[in-house]
Amino acid sequence: MEGSAIEVVDLRIVLAPALSLACALLIFAFGRRDLWRAVFALSASVLKLAIVLSMLPGSLAGTVYVYELVDFPPGIGIVFRADGLGMFFALVSSTLWVVTTVYAIGYLQGAHERVRFFGFFALCVSTTVGLAFAENLLTLFLFYELLTICTYPLVIHDETPEAMKAGRKYLAYTLSGGVAVLLGVVLVQDLAGTLTLAEPGILSLEAGRPMLLLAFVVLVAGFGVKAAIMPLHGWLPTAMVAPVPVSALLHAVAVVKAGVFGLLRVIYNIFGVELLGVLGYTHWLAVFAGFTIIAASVMALAQTHLKLRLAYSTVSQLSYIVLAASLLTPLAALAAIAHIANQAFAKITMFFVAGAVQRTTGRTQIHELAGLGRVMPWTMGAFTIAALSFIAVPLFAGFVTKWFLCLGALQAGEWWWVLLMVASSLLNAAYWLPILYLAWFREPRGLPRGVREARALLLAPTLVSAAYVLLLGMTARVPGMPFSLAQAAVRFVTGI
Amino acid sequence: MDFLPALVIALPLLGGALALPLRRLGERGRIIVLVALAVASMLGVYALLPGVLRGEPRMLSLVHFAPQVELYLRVDAMGAMYAATVVTLFLLALVYSAGYLRRGGHETRYYAFFMLSLAWMLGVAFAGNLVTLLVFYELFSILAYPLVVHDETPEAIRAGTKYIIYILVGGSLILLGVIFAFHLAGDMPLTPGGILDPGSDRTLLLVTFWCLVAGFGVKAALMPLHGWVPDVHPAAPASFSALLSGVMVATGCFGILRVIFEVFGVELVTALGVAPVLTVLAAISVLLAAILAAGEDNLKRRLAWSTISQMAYVVLAVSLLAPRVTAGALVHISNHAFMKGTLFFCAGLLASQAGIRRVSEMAGAARRMPLTMAAFTVAALGIVGVPPLAGFISKWVMGVGMLEAGHPLVLIVLLGGALLAALYLLQPVWMAYFRSPDETAPERLRPEAPPSTLVPIMLAAALSGLLGLAATTPGLPLALAERAAAAFFGSVAGGGPP
Repeated sequence: MEGSAIEVVDLRIVLAPALSLACALLIFAFGRRDLWRAVFALSASVLKLAIVLSMLPGSLAGTVYVYELVDFPPGIGIVFRADGLGMFFALVSSTLWVVTTVYAIGYLQGAHERVRFFGFFALCVSTTVGLAFAENLLTLFLFYELLTICTYPLVIHDETPEAMKAGRKYLAYTLSGGVAVLLGVVLVQDLAGTLTLAEPGILSLEAGRPMLLLAFVVLVAGFGVKAAIMPLHGWLPTAMVAPVPVSALLHAVAVVKAGVFGLLRVIYNIFGVELLGVLGYTHWLAVFAGFTIIAASVMALAQTHLKLRLAYSTVSQLSYIVLAASLLTPLAALAAIAHIANQAFAKITMFFVAGAVQRTTGRTQIHELAGLGRVMPWTMGAFTIAALSFIAVPLFAGFVTKWFLCLGALQAGEWWWVLLMVASSLLNAAYWLPILYLAWFREPRGLPRGVREARALLLAPTLVSAAYVLLLGMTARVPGMPFSLAQAAVRFVTGI
Repeated sequence: MDFLPALVIALPLLGGALALPLRRLGERGRIIVLVALAVASMLGVYALLPGVLRGEPRMLSLVHFAPQVELYLRVDAMGAMYAATVVTLFLLALVYSAGYLRRGGHETRYYAFFMLSLAWMLGVAFAGNLVTLLVFYELFSILAYPLVVHDETPEAIRAGTKYIIYILVGGSLILLGVIFAFHLAGDMPLTPGGILDPGSDRTLLLVTFWCLVAGFGVKAALMPLHGWVPDVHPAAPASFSALLSGVMVATGCFGILRVIFEVFGVELVTALGVAPVLTVLAAISVLLAAILAAGEDNLKRRLAWSTISQMAYVVLAVSLLAPRVTAGALVHISNHAFMKGTLFFCAGLLASQAGIRRVSEMAGAARRMPLTMAAFTVAALGIVGVPPLAGFISKWVMGVGMLEAGHPLVLIVLLGGALLAALYLLQPVWMAYFRSPDETAPERLRPEAPPSTLVPIMLAAALSGLLGLAATTPGLPLALAERAAAAFFGSVAGGGPP
């Protein structure tokens, strides 16, 4: 491995998930009072963000923080390690968590079972950061499974028959995926004798092609469930019955990104770019991802329900990351990692808007959005920024991804992916621009008098994340922004 | 002072941001502030000209927004000429808008996006590398949509949809081209003589070239990519269709010029053998669009077809790859902007004051609106190419250049286009002056337009004359165009006024 990284034992890396966990427990214990619950929920996310930010300067300077919690199972252990990719994921998810928590407090006022909701919400905070900092595949798997379990009560929060049904479907998909991952973990342990994620690849050709293929297929299929690669995406649109903050969390931050993050770890740290270059499995993965990008966009085009359109758009956007990772070139890797943040902020903005519109006007269908730009200019302005980012208009976050993904594809000598990206951008334009047109260039109809902008608790997080979309597009060079971490991560995985 | 190029872009951006809060000052107060910002930006652009003429290039790296990808501004002769044209015509159109726009519409939206458009277009003019060009070009193309559909009539909405589809497809082609060029050359600033390695894969070079040219060709309305122009121009408000025709279509030509001379370079384009194809396409556009213009009764549509024909001159001239004819093409971009701007301003007044939308309704218009029709006549004669107006200068330089380059056949196309222009533009003039008005038509209450619209029209018409009479003055388009052409061809051989 590259010798430049300095490993430092640091307790903070455990503190990040542990403090959030403590807050979750406090919510379960003392969360009856609205004020206390809000304080605990916010402190869970803010503390985590503060800890991650405090590690940022060191991480950018090349320090890698490690901490071994327990040596169980012997020789593997629950070990944490914050490298570039892990820090990137932790930074993105903890930033988003703060805004989502504020939004959830505003959104769920007066809803039922709020203690359960915010308790599990804070548990997810804890699990996601644990996942980001996992040093080995077993730790990663542990938190991956925990995340599934912690999100289930959130998915079924409304407890309607559809919600329960969606919850069952969610569990069926993700637990099967988890089993596949477990099989993969065992196989890798057997083939490589270690599970560490600290190296750019631990498997070698000596393991034999059939076994390598099997390990690759089960790991990719396992993580691919949460990453919603077609045909494993079925749970995602169904889970749309959940409350909006949960959809935002499922779709933008924790769950789907956990799948994608796992895939990146498998590609860059378990198999390694060199080995996969020889084996060529990623060509097939790229084909699946390319198909998903186009097919999911076409399905998004057919949706008339705003949240469902958002869901299919997520499926499509996630495969950008998968496609970029499977191209195995440094620039494409940069696109893959950067898109974790770019997609997350833009998509969470859209979900916030969908929720704010629903709360303020009760509207959920796309054709009902007519004229809302006049009534809720700030909310729809945020939506516009996110939509332009997905269409990959320059200066918006999505353009950065598209640019590096295209260059990465050319670096790999596979120009057809460039055409696919252009087609995908046009499809994105085809399903976002009509919404913008409806919102801004039509008269509002059938709205009761006095309907105005969404409440501050819903609007403020929306505007913050929309501003971040612009920021991500324009300040990629600024150290400390997620992009600089992505570069550090790419240097490690590709050895450049 | 090196931040001057960034400043001239920032001023209209500020105007765009202020359009909403400035509502408090009232209509008049807001327009005064916006005009002041546009004037400041214009003076800034003019202040750049002496340095450009002395050959002192200015470069400014704005933002590195990703490794190897930076927003990079550069002021060269062609960019400065185009920027000066853009900012002057925008200022005139802004003043005109104040008098022309119907009150109670979406004026705030209009002014905000209007000022933003100005900023993006200046960014296109000063773009120092392909990424910067792409960024500003896409921003202004997409964000011009609210201006196109400003009236929100069903036709405007339909035209807007057509516009956005053409623009997105064109933009995607440009993006493809830029990515291929980036792959071949890396992050190189635009350089006269080209940035691509002639030894690269020939197929890839050809694909890059056609992606870029076709992408910009959509904006330049090069047939067969012109479909949006005849629908969008009549649907947009006149103040904006003047800009669409005057400078926005020219942006496409501007992009093609950058691609040919500063991405590929004359030698590589010659070696690829793509120029003759462009010549043929442009020649067809010149003649066919002019014929269609002659057959069109709707005044604004006729002017739109005329724009397609006139802008194809630029591509036609450039495709010959000779210095003098290139200088002529550049001058034509600038001259055409003011003449066509005047015509659209007049067409807007004819429609709003007298309800005249068709050429066949123009009988006697000169009696009702003498000043408007005088300006219309000057601009129409200019486009036809009557000496000593601006259009004559550009056609003369192009014509001489075509002969110098040894292409007499192309000269015939040029003259044919001019003859047809006389046919389709002098007919409305003749109708207005020499046909008595239909007696049954009721007398209008407002015969002549308000001064705030007449002043910009008069100024634009005066510029059409001035750019012809004083063409050789340093700092006017001809001198800048010659300097730009000299840079593209690596010599001053093409310089010197005719």
